[in-house]
Amino acid sequence: MTWWRNLLRHPLRSALAVAGITVTTAMLLDMVLLGGGLERSFERLLLGRGYQIRVSPSGTLPFDTETTIPGAAALRLGLEADPEVTGVAPVLGASVFARAGDTLVAVFAYGIDPEVQAIYQPLSGSDLAAGDSLGVLLSAPAAARLGMAPGDTLVLVGRLDPQLATAAIERRLVVRGVARLLYDSRGQLSLVALLPVVQSLAGLREEDRVSAFVVRARSDDQADAVTARLRSAHPGIEVNSVTDMVRHFRERLVYFRQLSYILGSISLVVTVLLVTTLMTITVNERLGEIATLRAIGVSRATVVRSVMLEGATLTVVGGGLGIVLGLATARYLDAILTTFPGLPAAISFFVPEPDRLLLAGVVLFLAGVGAGVYPAIIAARAPIADTLRAEAT
Amino acid sequence: MVLAALALARHSQAGQEPVPVALERRLAERLGAWAGDTIRVALEAGGAGQLVVVAAVYEPTPDPASVTRRDLTLRFHLPDLAALLGTPDRVNRFGIVLHPGVSPDDAAGDLNRVAFGFRAAPSAAIAGESSQTFRVVSRFHSAIAIIAVGASAIFLLCIMLLKVEERRRDAAVMRFIGVRPRTIFVALLLEALLVAGLGSVIGVLLAAAAAAMTNWYYQGLFDTALTFASITPGILRFSILVSLVLGVGAGALAARRLVRTNPHVLWGRG
Repeated sequence: MTWWRNLLRHPLRSALAVAGITVTTAMLLDMVLLGGGLERSFERLLLGRGYQIRVSPSGTLPFDTETTIPGAAALRLGLEADPEVTGVAPVLGASVFARAGDTLVAVFAYGIDPEVQAIYQPLSGSDLAAGDSLGVLLSAPAAARLGMAPGDTLVLVGRLDPQLATAAIERRLVVRGVARLLYDSRGQLSLVALLPVVQSLAGLREEDRVSAFVVRARSDDQADAVTARLRSAHPGIEVNSVTDMVRHFRERLVYFRQLSYILGSISLVVTVLLVTTLMTITVNERLGEIATLRAIGVSRATVVRSVMLEGATLTVVGGGLGIVLGLATARYLDAILTTFPGLPAAISFFVPEPDRLLLAGVVLFLAGVGAGVYPAIIAARAPIADTLRAEAT
Repeated sequence: MVLAALALARHSQAGQEPVPVALERRLAERLGAWAGDTIRVALEAGGAGQLVVVAAVYEPTPDPASVTRRDLTLRFHLPDLAALLGTPDRVNRFGIVLHPGVSPDDAAGDLNRVAFGFRAAPSAAIAGESSQTFRVVSRFHSAIAIIAVGASAIFLLCIMLLKVEERRRDAAVMRFIGVRPRTIFVALLLEALLVAGLGSVIGVLLAAAAAAMTNWYYQGLFDTALTFASITPGILRFSILVSLVLGVGAGALAARRLVRTNPHVLWGRG
C-alpha cells in the first residue's frame, strides 16, 4: 500500500487532483451522453409504437412543412399492397380553433384512424373508437386550457374568414378522454379526432389529404428493404425508415454532436495533463527515495507499478465522484435543452445508459493509466548512484 | 406574404407563359439554373404545376433560425404563388408600417380587439419568440462554461500549488541567508502573476484561433455568412480577470504555506 501512503503524504495536492479529475470526468460523461443520447432518444420515440417507416410529401420530413399528400385512401392501399407491410396509419395535422367562452383558442388537431394510430397513448377517459366521428381526445395542456373533461362538448371551428368574421365550418365533438401526444412539445395544445373530421375542418376532405403515413413492417430487420421497395414503387412521395429519420435528425443537430466530441476530448486532455503533471512532480520530489528502494533491491517493475497505481487511484477516485457529478449536471443540462421550442417533450438530450457509462469509465481509466506512464518511466530510469549522491550533497 | 413548400424541376419546353421568380443562390447552384432559365414548379413531385422563369438570383439574409434546416427558397410575386397554390387572396401574414410616434403595442392591441382569424403582434414580440431557441442555446453554453471554468480553476490551483512547491529549496536558502518571509511571499506572488498573465495571453490567442476555425468550419458546412463564434470585449475581460484572480489567488495560497513552513523542513532536514 506504499502508493496509497504516497498519495496521503500530500493531502492538499491529492485532493486538488481528485477534484480536477472529478469535474473533468463529469464534463466527459456529459459529453458522452450528449453525443449519442439525443439520437437514441429520437429513435426510441419513433419506434415507440412499433412503426418503422415514415411517408411524407416529396422533399420533406413528416410535419416539417404544411405540405400534404392528396389521395390518401388510394395511396394507403398502395402502401398496404407490399407483402411485408402490416399496418399503415394516416395522420393529418392542421390548426383549428376551439371555442372557449367568447374567445377562440388555436389548437393543433391530429386526424387519425383509431385502428392504426401511432401518435398517442390514452391517459384517462376512453379511447376513440373506429367510426366515432363525434369523439375527440385532448392533450393534457389542451384539456387544462379549455377547462374540459371527458363527457364535455367541445366546439371546433375551421377556416376563419377575417373579412366576413365567420368560420367556414363548425363541429361539436364530445371529449372522450385525455391522451399523451407522443410528438407534442411541452405545453402544446392538441387534440385528436378521426381523419375525416380534421380533413373537413381544414378544408382538405375533398382531395383526401394527409400530412404523413406511418408504416409498420413485419419485422425490424425488413424495415430498410420495405423502405427501398416503397420508395421505388411511389417516387412521388418521401419514404424514410427510422434509420433515415435519425440520420436527418443527426444532420440537423450536428452542432451538439461536434460540441460533445470537442469538449469530451478537451476533458480527457485536461485529465491526462493533470495526472501526468502531478505524478511527474511527485516522482521528481521522491527520486532519492526511489533510488534508495532500487539500491536495496526493489525491482523496476515494482517502482513502475507503484507510480502507475497512484495515477490510477487518483483517476478511479476522481472518476467515481465525477460520474455522480456528471449524472447530476446531465439532468440540469437536459432540463435546459429540452425547453427548445417545438421539441417533442419525450426527447432527451442526455440519456444515461449502462453502455455509455461504461464507455466513459473505460476511456477515463485508460487515460488515467496512460497519464502515469511518463512519470513511471522517469522513476524506472532514475540513475541510482547519481541520484543518491545528489541527495546526500 | 405566402409561404409554401414546392417541388422543382428543370424545364426545356415552351407552351405556357412563365411567371418570374427569384432564386436564392444555393438553390440556383443546386438546380444549375440562372437568370433567364425556365423551371417547372409544382405542389407535388410530378405535378403539372407552373412554369417560371428565373428573373434574379439573390443571396438571402443569413438566418440563424433556419441555418440547420438548410431550407432552399424562391420568391414569387404574391398573386403568382397564390394562383399556383389555388388559394387566391389568402396570405400567411402582413407586415404593417405605423405612422411615426404610434406605439406598436397599442396598435397591435387595437387590432386584436377586432381580430377574427388573425393575431397582430409587435415585431419586437415576434423577435422575442423566435429567438427563444438561441436563448436556450445561450443558457446551455453558460452552464457548460460554468463547468469548464470550475475544471480550469481546479487545474490552475493545482498547477500553481505545484509550481510554488517546486521552489521549496530556493525559499529555504533565502530564509537561511536572512531574506524576510514577506519578501519571499511577494516574489512568489509576482511570479504567479507573471505566469497567470502569460497564460492568459496564450489562452486568448488560442481562443481567437479556435473561434476562427469554428467560423471557417461551420460557415463552410452550412454555406452561410453567419458568425458562429466571436470573442467580445466582455468575454475577453471576464476570461482574463478570472484567470488572473485564480492564478494569483492560488499562488498566494501556496506561497503563504511555503513562508510559514520551517526552512529546515523546506530543505528536507526538518
